[in-house]
Amino acid sequence: MKRSSSLMVIVALAAPLSFHSVKAQGTLDQQQKQAAEMVDTAKFKKAPPYTIGISAGYMSNSWVVFSLQNIKYEASLHKDIKDLVVTDAGFKPAKQVADIEDLINKHVSAIIYWPVDDKSIEGALKKAEAAGIPTVNAGGGFTNAPGTTTNAYISQWDIGEKAARQLFKDMNGKGKIFAMLPIAGHYASVDQLAALQSVMKEYPGIELLSAQYGDWNRAKAKQITENMLQRYPVINGVFSPSGQMSAGIVEAFDEAGRIKEVTFSPADEYNGWLKDVAKLSKGGVVTFPTKVGRDAVELALTALEGKAVPKGRLIPSQYIPAADAAKLAQADKSDDSWSNTLPNDWQPK
Amino acid sequence: MIQQPSQNDLLVGHGRRRLRVADWAIWLVLLCLLGVGSLLSDSMLRPANLVNIMRQAAPLGIAALGVTFVMILGEVDLAVGAVISVSAVLATSLMQGSSANLFPAVATSLVVSTVIGGLNGSLVAFSRVSSFILTLGTAIFLYGCTQILTGGMAHGTVSPGFREFFNLRLGGWLPVLVIAFLLLALVALVIQRTSVFARQVYLIGANRRTARLSGLPIERTIVIAYMLSGFFAGVAGLALVARSGVSGSLAASGYEFDVLAAVILGGTSFQGGRGGVDGTVGGVLILTLAFNLVNIIGLNYHSQLIVKGLIIIIASAAYQRIGAQQGG
Repeated sequence: MKRSSSLMVIVALAAPLSFHSVKAQGTLDQQQKQAAEMVDTAKFKKAPPYTIGISAGYMSNSWVVFSLQNIKYEASLHKDIKDLVVTDAGFKPAKQVADIEDLINKHVSAIIYWPVDDKSIEGALKKAEAAGIPTVNAGGGFTNAPGTTTNAYISQWDIGEKAARQLFKDMNGKGKIFAMLPIAGHYASVDQLAALQSVMKEYPGIELLSAQYGDWNRAKAKQITENMLQRYPVINGVFSPSGQMSAGIVEAFDEAGRIKEVTFSPADEYNGWLKDVAKLSKGGVVTFPTKVGRDAVELALTALEGKAVPKGRLIPSQYIPAADAAKLAQADKSDDSWSNTLPNDWQPK
Repeated sequence: MIQQPSQNDLLVGHGRRRLRVADWAIWLVLLCLLGVGSLLSDSMLRPANLVNIMRQAAPLGIAALGVTFVMILGEVDLAVGAVISVSAVLATSLMQGSSANLFPAVATSLVVSTVIGGLNGSLVAFSRVSSFILTLGTAIFLYGCTQILTGGMAHGTVSPGFREFFNLRLGGWLPVLVIAFLLLALVALVIQRTSVFARQVYLIGANRRTARLSGLPIERTIVIAYMLSGFFAGVAGLALVARSGVSGSLAASGYEFDVLAAVILGGTSFQGGRGGVDGTVGGVLILTLAFNLVNIIGLNYHSQLIVKGLIIIIASAAYQRIGAQQGG
């Protein structure tokens, strides 16, 4: 009785999950089409020197810190860029709106941003464009909303698909997995889950036990995994493209004495995860490149020259096998660091 | 001539109150929740799961112990999450992956956390600004300092052996971290039940005006309570590092709300003068159990939030009802 009641509740409450896959696929096709469109930037043309405004939705995130360093490094390579002005909204959408308006009032030449919430800054970005300031989204996602001139983006679908394929290959096409996704409702979660479910159709031997949301938080991912380990006596694989969360998941399996029975999907270049890859010789990497910041600067400069830019420039993710990924681990550096291609002098201090 | 009770009489009288069912209400609610959980999932009462819950509760629980004294005073400490973050980030930055740095790093974190608590206490005690606003301001200030010092990224690596020690299981099943949490809870309980300081905290929280007229050292008591809160938050930061390393510069952002929820759920009121660490431990376990339960019965994420909220509401209502029926 108790199990059938639980099952009914679970089925009823799990039903909405099925809609995510359809919506994300439609969005992906649309996204690729929109990204390919060229944007006329003649109205943004201005003579150097340039001051680039950077509106950071948040800075308390190591990926963002490295992405910003990439922006600064790329800017240093162009003598036309005189100055960078950086603002930090600290996760507050209203503050980011105010920051963008401040940058407009400072007459910056272009604005590179990563959003707290896309919708809330749309108005401010439209004002920027109206003032002749091109805007570049460098947050890793793609938006076609008014106010954003162009995007330097990474495809979460692509990451999810690569991670899923490699995981299922390493599992020989069968077994039980659970998925650890970022923030519920965030486009990264929607696209990653949709990609996973899409690849699963080719692998009928794979069963998805549960999809959980770890908020890109290592401690939370660990806590959820500990609970998953209690619930499921058999877990053969974990789908988790986020290295930060994967590091917490590995710890949970290790402390439960079940590390040998599980296969991990590749995850990003988070150093804590790379250390685990080196230790376990499994997992691998699907990159989430911090060099997106450099592409954002290039797009901004192209727009300032009045040359057409694509609506979205995709920065591709690459799969790196565990043996090669292990070499990227920096044992003497913090877990909160990211493997990157910046010169030593430009590494964050 | 009517003899007024002495200050000592007031203090001694408090410690001699008889225990009532209301004092055990939170544990009854916890047991009921475990019972309900066991009906919904076979995993709930497994020893491994129970130990799991205790381990997950440790950082939150340790922080909540200190905040309990502040709230019994009738004040609040919204800086607790920031202090936990500072402690965790500072400890890891100082450890730099070396065993030789372990004790200096731990000591520095605890001293800094306690000093921050003392500063909070001094501001609350000697200014007329509400502790809600003051500690909120301190929290924002501390988060800002952490951001400036770290550049948004957690630096350093944990000393070898630190995490391994706290994850060690005595007898093959009981993590050292859980033992540490229980020991600290016991220490806090002993302070609460036997110390003059704690009796002063209750009296001041119950009626500050009367306490002042009675000659109790109000300002000093407030400062000590906040120092305790800072110290326990510092230990909670170290517990967080032991649990899962440091994955960001704002490691415990948002913790303050979980801490407050646990303390209030455990029977300590914003108004002051009542509650205790025993109830707080129960509140922490209920909160952690709620999260554990929604995971292990397999609810999807959105339903988890709804059910978790319902568990907290029902648990709190049940606790209040049992307490009211017993005259608590």
